[in-house]
Amino acid sequence: MAGHAHYREAHPLVFVITHWINLICMIMLAFSGFYIHYPFFGGFMGVARGMHFVAMYVIIINLTFRIIAAFFVKTATDLGSHQVDTDIKNWLPQEKNKHQFFETVKYYIFLRKEAVISAKYGSLQKIAYLATIPLTYLMAYTGFAIYGPTMTWGLFSGGVEMVGGPMNMRIIHYFMMWVFIVFTMIHAYLANIYNFKPSKIIFAWKESE
Amino acid sequence: MAQEAHGAIYDLLAVRGVSRRDFLKYCSYVAAMLGLSEAAAPAIAAAVEKGSKLKPALWLNGGSCTGCTESMAQVDSPDVATIVLELLSLNYFETVMAAAGEHAEKNIQDTIAAGGYLLIYEGSVMTGEDGNTLLVNGHKGTDILKEAAESADAIIAVGACAVDGGWVAAHPNPAGATGVQAFLDVEGVKTPVVNIPCCPMNPEWVVAMVVQWLLVAEDDPATFLAKTELLGKSYDDRLTGRNVTLLYPKYVVGSTIHDNCPRRGHFENGDFVTEFGSAEEAMGYCLYKVGCKGPQTFTQCPITRWNRSVSWCVQSGAPCIGCGAISWVDNNTPFFKRLSSMQMGDGLGYVQPGSVAAVVGGVAAAALVAHGLGMKAAGRIGPDGPPTETVKKHDRKRQAKGGDK
Repeated sequence: MAGHAHYREAHPLVFVITHWINLICMIMLAFSGFYIHYPFFGGFMGVARGMHFVAMYVIIINLTFRIIAAFFVKTATDLGSHQVDTDIKNWLPQEKNKHQFFETVKYYIFLRKEAVISAKYGSLQKIAYLATIPLTYLMAYTGFAIYGPTMTWGLFSGGVEMVGGPMNMRIIHYFMMWVFIVFTMIHAYLANIYNFKPSKIIFAWKESE
Repeated sequence: MAQEAHGAIYDLLAVRGVSRRDFLKYCSYVAAMLGLSEAAAPAIAAAVEKGSKLKPALWLNGGSCTGCTESMAQVDSPDVATIVLELLSLNYFETVMAAAGEHAEKNIQDTIAAGGYLLIYEGSVMTGEDGNTLLVNGHKGTDILKEAAESADAIIAVGACAVDGGWVAAHPNPAGATGVQAFLDVEGVKTPVVNIPCCPMNPEWVVAMVVQWLLVAEDDPATFLAKTELLGKSYDDRLTGRNVTLLYPKYVVGSTIHDNCPRRGHFENGDFVTEFGSAEEAMGYCLYKVGCKGPQTFTQCPITRWNRSVSWCVQSGAPCIGCGAISWVDNNTPFFKRLSSMQMGDGLGYVQPGSVAAVVGGVAAAALVAHGLGMKAAGRIGPDGPPTETVKKHDRKRQAKGGDK
């Protein structure tokens, strides 16, 4: 879990790039989003809105590309391994994750001593990573539902009506941003809790033993 | 000459101090509002001039503050709108009619018996205490509305209260207030209802509907529904528990206040008012930071404006409080905050989404720090990390039981 080596097969260059794009877009989206929510200094609204829209389109295209690429790119099947298989297989729950969900939870809340057997990603990790897909699309949906030019489209006005008006949709959009912020906090924490080797490989593509 | 041929109406205008030019200008203004071309102005003038043929109408007040009546009668000198509205023979208009008592109430009954009238309903429908929260001359307001609605050609629900209960229906709604359409849905009355939003409603929007009725629809309910650009908006009525579809004139609710706002340029530039009474407010800066609900309120206020198009809320330096929205009080309070507050439960008070988010973020950060210290204390953080199991617990248990056969 911690002492293993980190090879480039774990994160091929294409996914290092998509991860960078995700990070940059997320920072831009959260910053401009906070500004649009409450402009804490002057003279930036037009830029903030432009930034918000561009980053949103980029992250949606990036996510869609990342999903499609998962069917074609091969990644490591295990931690510290050179052996590769199609990425989507390593992304979705596997045989090795079976029966391990509660054990993983127990490990993280200190109810068991030994770390659990997992594939490249543990069960909790896979649930979190897979959940970000619908969450990101839903985030874009709630954004379009409060965006002037599209909020009257049937697809979006139906959702606005369902949640009881545009103000409620705005609040949902705002809270969902916090879901992403908390996700990023936990993600960064768990990835680097043992050492910074995972960051070296995902950001700088540098292998470590 | 045309002026002589249509003497009656121009005499009327002259008596009120309105020139023929003003009159035609007004007609083209109404045409623009209805989405017709300027060429329709003479036709509108003609429709108005048919003034001799009065359309009977009832103006009923439900649970209202009479603010919409005030809005209708706001002008200090008679203007064209007043004259157009005189096309309606308002047989009953509580606040301004001369008749009183039994005599006035008899007017309602006579009009209902004769049929073929427009019903203008102001205020909420108060259904609380089995309808006893609103009594007029010993009759329940709900009974009067139902009876008048059944025989009417069409109903114009004026003001936020008539639309969905307005502020009268705000939480906790002790009067059991709801809107006209929600009430009629429950009662099974099929008379078409056109909703004019806002608190109070804008008189020009009502005038446009009356002209639409008399000119385009030629006094026929089916033609009116077919030829008027209406926009249906559904909402879940909290009182009746039904999904109600409200019909609005499209020209009133087609775009947001934000999109047509004269302060919009300042919004894009990032010039904001942070304090009321400040220089920024006077300079026409954007009121977004002081709680303007313009971005999520769909009304025509910035274009029609108020008080004979003199000004309107945002122009005069007040943020939009979203009175044209559904459940507008519950959805938009506090008025001077960016987001509305969320109710935590009956009697537990309200909280701003930002406070909730800050607590969630703070707790998450603290939990992670605590967890990290725990990981360290448990000896999991080191060059080799924690020991990892060699067989899954599930498999160990199964093997202990004798494994697969």
